[in-house]
Amino acid sequence: MAAVLVHIDLDGERPHPSSLQALAAGRAVASSWGATLYAAMIAHAPAQASSTWPAGRATPRMPGSAKTIEAIRIALVRGGADKIVVALTDVPVAPLWSALGAAWQGVLDHLRPRLVLFGADAPAACELGPRTGARIGARLFTRARPASAGPSELELRDRDGAYVRMTDGGAAVVMIGAAPRIDVGSDDDIDVMVLELPGGADARIELMGSAPADPAHAAATLIALGDDAAADPEIVRAAGQLAQVIGAHVVTGAQVARGAPLTPELCIAVGAPAIDLAGTTSVVKIGGTGGRGVDGALSGPIAAQLGELAHALEGR
Amino acid sequence: MTAIAVWLGSAEPVRSIRWLDGALKVAARLGAATAVAAGERSWLDLAADRAARFGLAALGVPTDLQLDYLGWAQVMAAAARQLGATTVLVDEASRPERFAEVAAIAELTDAAQLGRVIALAAEDGVLHASRAAGKTVQAVRVHGPAVIGVRIAGPAIDEYPTPMPSTAMRHVSLTALGLDAAVLGHRALSPRISQPARKTVERVAEHLAVHVVARPPVRDSQPKLEAAKPKRAARDTKAGAKPASKAKGARGNKSE
Repeated sequence: MAAVLVHIDLDGERPHPSSLQALAAGRAVASSWGATLYAAMIAHAPAQASSTWPAGRATPRMPGSAKTIEAIRIALVRGGADKIVVALTDVPVAPLWSALGAAWQGVLDHLRPRLVLFGADAPAACELGPRTGARIGARLFTRARPASAGPSELELRDRDGAYVRMTDGGAAVVMIGAAPRIDVGSDDDIDVMVLELPGGADARIELMGSAPADPAHAAATLIALGDDAAADPEIVRAAGQLAQVIGAHVVTGAQVARGAPLTPELCIAVGAPAIDLAGTTSVVKIGGTGGRGVDGALSGPIAAQLGELAHALEGR
Repeated sequence: MTAIAVWLGSAEPVRSIRWLDGALKVAARLGAATAVAAGERSWLDLAADRAARFGLAALGVPTDLQLDYLGWAQVMAAAARQLGATTVLVDEASRPERFAEVAAIAELTDAAQLGRVIALAAEDGVLHASRAAGKTVQAVRVHGPAVIGVRIAGPAIDEYPTPMPSTAMRHVSLTALGLDAAVLGHRALSPRISQPARKTVERVAEHLAVHVVARPPVRDSQPKLEAAKPKRAARDTKAGAKPASKAKGARGNKSE
């Protein structure tokens, strides 16, 4: 039976919501394809403590309090996993291939999945996803979601229309951007596999520390208001409403320098904001016309368009 | 001295060339670097022109292939081997597909990888990078062979002259790099028509749907686990695929 593998990132002591979204997509696809759905996470186990743990199938034991471990396990069970894999590494977990790569490789070697899913907004996805694809020679989809491929099959469809179907040959790595809310009636006694995977970090990458980033430069999704739009309280309120739905940061001319170079993954430009977006950014214009490199453009009353968009997206 | 190569990609930047210039400028500061581009001649001329402005050598791989991330990574990895480059910078801000090539080139050259770098400097043979990671900026030291995806802007440029065919760029064929076009063709992308801008709320919402922030599940709406056990047993007895409409997790699927 084919394996569908979902990488689970942790957000504090819980599975990251984006990883759970990927798990939901994996559940839908695995059920449609008749595949087994594995949820795999990497946990730090200091070498000394883990040396007594058995390799291979074993009683599920992970670092952390029993309550935390159980909460994670239940979240994954409720998320639809058929089996849970915990890869133990002696390297502190950081969202970098250099830290997680060896352990993740162990999971891939063990399961040899045909389809590997990541939450598109999960912290480690951008580091692990493409490298996983390159390692197993897979096709790569950067922001996809489940979609119907006929009366009895689901596919995963990317923004550009490319898709993964059960009948495709070869492996695929897919970053999931959206998934149906699932109503899983799963059982509680699913298998948990613990893999002890020593191998260490890639010493060529040395993480020295981290500091908070400027939100305007760090946000994956921006709503940028032009000066005229920023002066209209109705537009500001509607932009805030949309920002909540899509998890965006709202910027105005008062917060960033004129012509500031920014690299969000998505920018909703309201009016005519004076920012300079990278080619990697998907741009949607509100209150403007389309053009080269613009993925969407809505003309008409700006506040109303923002409100309608927020309303249309709220239920998803 | 560490040999450095800069991968400018397989097509011209989507929106602005300032990010391409930024990658070239950083490479020029690090030492003797060679800019590498692949694709159609007009793009190679532009890449050569921009590289020359920063005093960098340029290598071009003319081809009309349209490849995926792993196909282009094979081209760049072969070029890096020919140049003896152990540090490869990738301009990952100019086009959306480029970020995946960082990891793929690293995989093929057995190098460390680091993407989303917003500042890069060298000191005593070690690269010091600042990397955007969600709501934080990480400080990272890079020792030894690495592929680094940079998102560093050069100066703003409104207009730039149409580049003339370049004599400064050294052209090498795929064959000269040890690559077989027929084999590379396995990584070819099917031609796609570029989509016009979506102009209705429904279509824009469809486009934005994959960006809606994932919410943690609401605990109260979750079913009791004990009550669900019989369903698992029933499912495990079935062989093969089942209709998606009846599959576990299919309820609430808006795509159906």
